[in-house]
Amino acid sequence: MSAPSNGGALAALSDNLAAAVETAGRSVVAIHARRRIPASGVVWQSGVVVGAHHTIQRDDDIGITLHDGTTVPATLAGRDPSTDLAVLRLAGPAEGAPAVAPASDPVRVGQLMLALGRPGSAVTASLGIVSAVGGEWRTWQGGTIDQFVRLDLSIYDGFSGGPLVNAGGRVAGINTSGLARAAAVTVPSRTVERVVKQLLERGHVARGWLGIATQPVRLPPALRRSAGAEAEVGLVVVNVEPESPADRGGVLIGDVLLALDDRPVADPGDVMAALGAERIGRPAVLRVARGGRAEQLSVTVGERPRVRR
Amino acid sequence: MSAAELAADLAEITERLRRVTVQVRAGARGLGGGVVWLRHGLVITNAHVAAQPRLEVVLPDGRSLPGRLVARDPRRDLAAVALPTGDISAAPRVDARGLRAGELLVALGHPLGVANAASLGVVHRAANGMSGPAGWLQAAIRLAPGNSGGPIADARGRVAGISAMIVGGLGIAVPSHVVEQFVRESGVGERGGARAA
Repeated sequence: MSAPSNGGALAALSDNLAAAVETAGRSVVAIHARRRIPASGVVWQSGVVVGAHHTIQRDDDIGITLHDGTTVPATLAGRDPSTDLAVLRLAGPAEGAPAVAPASDPVRVGQLMLALGRPGSAVTASLGIVSAVGGEWRTWQGGTIDQFVRLDLSIYDGFSGGPLVNAGGRVAGINTSGLARAAAVTVPSRTVERVVKQLLERGHVARGWLGIATQPVRLPPALRRSAGAEAEVGLVVVNVEPESPADRGGVLIGDVLLALDDRPVADPGDVMAALGAERIGRPAVLRVARGGRAEQLSVTVGERPRVRR
Repeated sequence: MSAAELAADLAEITERLRRVTVQVRAGARGLGGGVVWLRHGLVITNAHVAAQPRLEVVLPDGRSLPGRLVARDPRRDLAAVALPTGDISAAPRVDARGLRAGELLVALGHPLGVANAASLGVVHRAANGMSGPAGWLQAAIRLAPGNSGGPIADARGRVAGISAMIVGGLGIAVPSHVVEQFVRESGVGERGGARAA
């Protein structure tokens, strides 16, 4: 046997990565709230654990295994399906569960990153890089994610709810496979912070609601002329929830929504984007094409009913 | 540490690993890897690679030798192959139970027939004391058929395990301490036991 090398840059990097996993891993827990293998979670602040909503399949009888191997009961403080986050409170003493240290530097393309999990008793890791960083985006369930972070990193079974950690062991966000069909998505710390605050205060994340379902439709030139529409595409209303704000405001199935508060809409996401929590209780002006003519409807934005799961 | 140092280190470790990695051919049944475990000519590979008693082993220097299957344990997915040669470099080893999640790993093998291809990853979960695959080394690393039997080494170039299977995208390796047990229990560690007849 030849003598192994002890030093070298590669060995030093390897030791650093293992130390980062060890440091951050103390805040990574296993959440027992589904049949198969446990999911991962992060101690976000003292006594508070954040996990991925889609992995928490029951509201009661939830256990959390800490890094020291002890399992303590937890209660569900709330869930936000739109960002796939759920918040749990540890019911027992939490000395064995230190909170994560957030990364202070912005995420950069090319940065080495570790995804951690605890789908059982041991912490697990995977290494990759940040492959793209973008601006704010909206999930298909309508949640706002502050920053788009794409990873070149393999995410394995049980990783959802675990943290994205930099080489210094600092946490940049929470990973989940529940927001995109093919790839893992990181919910950045800023978004987690905001959702945790709302869930702890209210048990849910409030969002504005009209009660309509729409789909894009190309506007024929004649209709554009008669209704005074500048855009080539509008949104045809395909459903109106009974007793919803839209119903009470007079929106009918078949109306073509052209603009919301004078801003043209061409995608259902445009309507979602205009319905933040701050709009609840305030009137919105909907310009619709009905019977070939433009009409203005005033609808008081309501609060979206709680999604069960 | 600079990126250039990292790259040079990685190249050196991969080269050292190449010098203890062999190709194991079982007739037309395909190609796997193997690790020179003992310098008197004992190669360790997977049981599922060494599927017949007579094997062709291609050494790191390109020589092709006839190998004789001297021990095989499908439960541990390990096989020992004796070579008719006296003195070749054996791989340095590390106990995979002592590795930590996040440590860098380098795998060498012949994925899909490409000889001596390297891949880089990290320890997903270290080996533990449990018997059977549930206790083996789990590596977050890209492997493919043909990596089987080849080494997975730590950042210091020490072999931590023998690549055995891919489960849920993870590379699963028989940890070095299980290989040591296998060598001891099957009695192939003795020079005479491994000598080709």
